[in-house]
Amino acid sequence: MTATLEYVRASKWYGPVIALNDVTTAVGPGVTGLLGPNGAGKSTFLKLAAGQLAPSQGEVRVLGRISWGSPELFHRVGVCPEPDAFWESLTGLQFLTALLSLTGFDEAEGRRRAEAALEQVALADARNRKIGGYSKGMRQRIKLGQALAHDPEVLLLDEPLSGMDPVNRRRIVDLVKKLGREGRTVLVSSHILHEVEAMTRRVLLIHNGRILAEGDVREIRDLMDEHPHTVALRARDPRALARAIVGAPHVLSVVFGAEGEWLTVQTARPDDFYASVHEAALEAGVSEMYSPDENLESVFRYLVAR
Amino acid sequence: MPIYEQTYRRYEARAPLRTIRSWPITREALRLILSRRAFLGLLLVAWGQFLFRVIQVYVVTRLPEAARVLPIDGRMFGQFLTIQTLFTLLLSIFGGAGLIANDLRTGAILVYLSRPLTRRDYVIGKLGVLLALNLSVTLVPGLLLYLIALALAPEQFAKWSLAWIAPAIVLQSVVTSLVMSLLALAVSSLSRSARVAGLGFFGLVFGLEVVRGVLRALYDRPESALLSIQADLQSLANALFGMGERAFQMPWAYPASVLLAVSLACLAILRARVRAVEIVR
Repeated sequence: MTATLEYVRASKWYGPVIALNDVTTAVGPGVTGLLGPNGAGKSTFLKLAAGQLAPSQGEVRVLGRISWGSPELFHRVGVCPEPDAFWESLTGLQFLTALLSLTGFDEAEGRRRAEAALEQVALADARNRKIGGYSKGMRQRIKLGQALAHDPEVLLLDEPLSGMDPVNRRRIVDLVKKLGREGRTVLVSSHILHEVEAMTRRVLLIHNGRILAEGDVREIRDLMDEHPHTVALRARDPRALARAIVGAPHVLSVVFGAEGEWLTVQTARPDDFYASVHEAALEAGVSEMYSPDENLESVFRYLVAR
Repeated sequence: MPIYEQTYRRYEARAPLRTIRSWPITREALRLILSRRAFLGLLLVAWGQFLFRVIQVYVVTRLPEAARVLPIDGRMFGQFLTIQTLFTLLLSIFGGAGLIANDLRTGAILVYLSRPLTRRDYVIGKLGVLLALNLSVTLVPGLLLYLIALALAPEQFAKWSLAWIAPAIVLQSVVTSLVMSLLALAVSSLSRSARVAGLGFFGLVFGLEVVRGVLRALYDRPESALLSIQADLQSLANALFGMGERAFQMPWAYPASVLLAVSLACLAILRARVRAVEIVR
């Protein structure tokens, strides 16, 4: 993976408050989720990449250049900030056209790109309405539109799904995934786990200004050796299945579900468990098997609690 | 590990920064300001004195005895620009108070600074708005008036001894416009409300003028003029155009130094306040 965003021992503090603490990481093309609770340092992490803050220590590079004091980078970087940042008296089309003129496009080209961006974020019908009259979801989308309009290679999206209705949320999730598939680097911050989960499996978990973990959710899960891995199985005869597996040394606990069909198993060595459960599962008539631990939320909860 | 599709290779953005990056900021803000009818009305009123002075020049060339009441000479341009200072004040309030304050309130400054622009470009763009407005009521009518005076009364103005008038008009207009613009921008950057910024700017300029008036009444010394921005500009005009008003009689370097210090202070405020991220300690 070629890194497009690089943090090398980057720290940022505001007076006595440390917002980001000695972070070294790299982000490559594709969608990467930046996850953490409020106040974890997500926005600072993004603002350092966006050149809106200078690191107090270390350095942050975007596309190989130091992000602070490199405004030319913004020909290639799109930023969707968390707060509403508009001129309310402008229409959506005027807003995007004005911003594209700041990026260096002439009026005709700016207008063409603005129209295309509005189409992408499903605001074509509202292009001539003043932003002051936009709903919360529309505001989110116009913010995303301005980040996309100049066709950037790197997109820094701060809580882009906040306030969106389910239909538009789905649309934006699909758009973000598409942008990632195109080979752009998309860094999406969120404190809502399932939002990020819907967009990508590659995550950076951040807490108290430190990166707690990074990589694919499964890889992160594998790193947590001492944390039991949970597997849920739905079987015709869960008690028979329990009898077959409970004696194995890697099985730590077996719990029957309330409905009578489900069995939840905790194991210290998931690979061994999956290898050994096959035969017993066939005999007990297992129809479904999944690992709720692969859910981002459980990984996050576990890491924060450590 | 995830394998990324590397299909995106249609990079069209321009790598180098453009030479004039501030112009779109100035253009958009001017468009917005000039779309307000009240503002256009104010601009029209600001040109009223120009019409009056043209008539004055015309009348004096036709009726030379009228010069006893309304003389036309170098001082006329100084008086003209001194009165126009009031309009630069009003234009700076109504056109400039919200220039940065509104961006701070809406967070639009973040959007500006997420473009290929520096903070300096942003300030220059905003300054350009006020300079354009203020010069349109000082430099433009001032030079136009001079040209009209040259055309209507060449025997009076087409002399080497009066060749200083045009440069003096340029200097006084530029200094007035620049100081008013910088001051309005600096005050605008100190608030998130255009209304508060406008009142603050008005209060600052007129408040200092009131203090100057009180000190002048108490001590009757021209140096009291140094306290007020308006009086400093008037003192400069007094020196440049040889107007000889006692209340503003002092070496030009004094008010020039004060105006320079005020401008530098405004730039320092702008440097501190214009940031994409407001840091709350």
